[in-house]
Amino acid sequence: MSIVARKWPWSKKDVHRDDPYWDFFIKTPPADLTNTVTELIRNAPAGNVFPTKTDIHTPEIMSQHVKDMARYFGAEWTGIAKLESHDDQHPDGYPFAVLCAVRAEYEPRVSPGIGGQVPVQNGLFITFVLSAWIRELGFRARVESQWEAKTLAAQAGLGRLDAEGRLVTPQFGTKVYIADAICTDLPLIANG
Amino acid sequence: MALTSEQTASQANGRSAAHDAYADTEFPTPYLGRSVRIVDKVVNVDMQQSPHPKNQRGELGKPLFNWYHNTVSKDPLTRVSAPNHFADRRHFLSTVINQAAKGAINSRQVEVRDPAVMTRHIKAVAHYMGADVVAVAKAHPSFLYAGGRYVQDGSAQDDYESKTPEALVRQFPYILVATTAWDYDKLQAHRHFIGDAAYHVSQIKGNMILKALEGYIKELGYTALRGVAIPQAAGVASGVGELGRNGLLINKHFGARIHMPDPIMTDLPLVPDEPVDIGVDDFCKICRKCANTCPTNSITFDDKVVHNGVEKYKINWLTCYKLRPYVHDHWSSCLTCAAVCPYTKPNVWWRDLAVWALHTCPYVARPALVHALKWIDDRFWGVTRNSRVRWLDYDSGVKPGEHACTVSGCTASHSGQEQEVVGEFGFYAPLKENTNRFVKR
Repeated sequence: MSIVARKWPWSKKDVHRDDPYWDFFIKTPPADLTNTVTELIRNAPAGNVFPTKTDIHTPEIMSQHVKDMARYFGAEWTGIAKLESHDDQHPDGYPFAVLCAVRAEYEPRVSPGIGGQVPVQNGLFITFVLSAWIRELGFRARVESQWEAKTLAAQAGLGRLDAEGRLVTPQFGTKVYIADAICTDLPLIANG
Repeated sequence: MALTSEQTASQANGRSAAHDAYADTEFPTPYLGRSVRIVDKVVNVDMQQSPHPKNQRGELGKPLFNWYHNTVSKDPLTRVSAPNHFADRRHFLSTVINQAAKGAINSRQVEVRDPAVMTRHIKAVAHYMGADVVAVAKAHPSFLYAGGRYVQDGSAQDDYESKTPEALVRQFPYILVATTAWDYDKLQAHRHFIGDAAYHVSQIKGNMILKALEGYIKELGYTALRGVAIPQAAGVASGVGELGRNGLLINKHFGARIHMPDPIMTDLPLVPDEPVDIGVDDFCKICRKCANTCPTNSITFDDKVVHNGVEKYKINWLTCYKLRPYVHDHWSSCLTCAAVCPYTKPNVWWRDLAVWALHTCPYVARPALVHALKWIDDRFWGVTRNSRVRWLDYDSGVKPGEHACTVSGCTASHSGQEQEVVGEFGFYAPLKENTNRFVKR
């Protein structure tokens, strides 16, 4: 029905080579930021924590549920990092940060087009719905867009930071985007 | 195919003057495949008379009004993903997306030399953003709402609101339909929070994709209108699927488990797709599985009727809608007709084979093939679904209203909950015998 370029997993062929508009999609920054979804979701205010706490399971099981839920929302990998509660950077005392990784064919930092920002968009979808779900479970959760999520992801065991500050992972190489960290006080178990 | 009596009468007297005048206009009656046929003048539907706006105004009675406005779901994920049952509106992503300001159209328009190349590009873009099905329909005035714009929980005001459907179609000749499908395994626990999760999460994801696509078309320098076209009409015309007995579009790859969100009407030069023939018309004539299992008997057992000039199967939307407040404690989206549909199968080679067989089979031989496929479906997937599905701490094997932690290895103390021993089948409330109050057969 729809004409979509497909390729074998081992093929090095650029499936969008014949597409004259693909470069515009990936590279050209939008003239009006209101046309992007990313700005919209990033600026949306967080909701209230549900007044009644849901009956939860053991921390091991809850961290598995959080990971499964994030996977269902589209995350390729999810990790949980332990935060230092006495750090000046984290005055609210959230004990954990949930990190979600999505595949990024093009590095979002150097591809400001709507297409280049699709990993960011997918990441924002995951963090928005996942943090809202944790708040609806009756626990605090906040999306921290200011933090360096890559460092926390490396801490949670996704991969290593190389000399240029890129995250290198065994699963995806460098073609990975770490969505904003969700810090929460839901009882979880940190990775690694 | 039986027509309604008044239709038969008017055809016997020759074609009416109104019909002839309609046929002569610059918009020829579109071919919509074998499942739907436009046989007479179609009066554009006023979106204010569709079920949700009616209910918003309280015209469907107090229980439904309260269900729509004043209920908070018991289930945390439903509070996040389902429209109108949130505890906090800010947790529902579609509210954020639909109520956002409209972006400006880029003044530096991207030149389109070959519409086919642009069509391929926009489909690749939609798939890249995560849409499962993308197609383009040629717009027709009968596909459009009568006036105003319809986007649930939001607004879609634009400069073209005062224009007639004909003027809109002249200016914006294409409708881009992009949609998401929901998960097959979770759908097996329809009439349960698990099935709700499958439905609602893919729905809000689809809303986000359409909003991003709308923004991208504006960045290309073209206009994108939302809330203008009827999704089902655009879906049939663009070949997303055929219209089944259950009133749902049935897709080649996903069956009935696709959303039909608000499509994008645009002046971006595209190449429209054609309606498809995957044998839905022949199948629905014989199968009637959805009509048998519908908890409210809202799906007809009879032949197609002509409703508003369109020959199709007509469901009773009011009884379908009225079930909702009764079952709100256990689930919010029924999905029975989508789940039992024989076309709704995992997206694998043997379903492609069956659809291909239906597609290539000559019309006269199709009933025999349908009987064979229906027998296989009844034999292997059951006449009704009662499989037990577990996902996270949800378990469709626990009776509605009872609490039990069936997560293996959980040692947490759950207050006031006894560990229940449950069978390997799912409890899907309400059972058929409890709901005959809606429509007696």
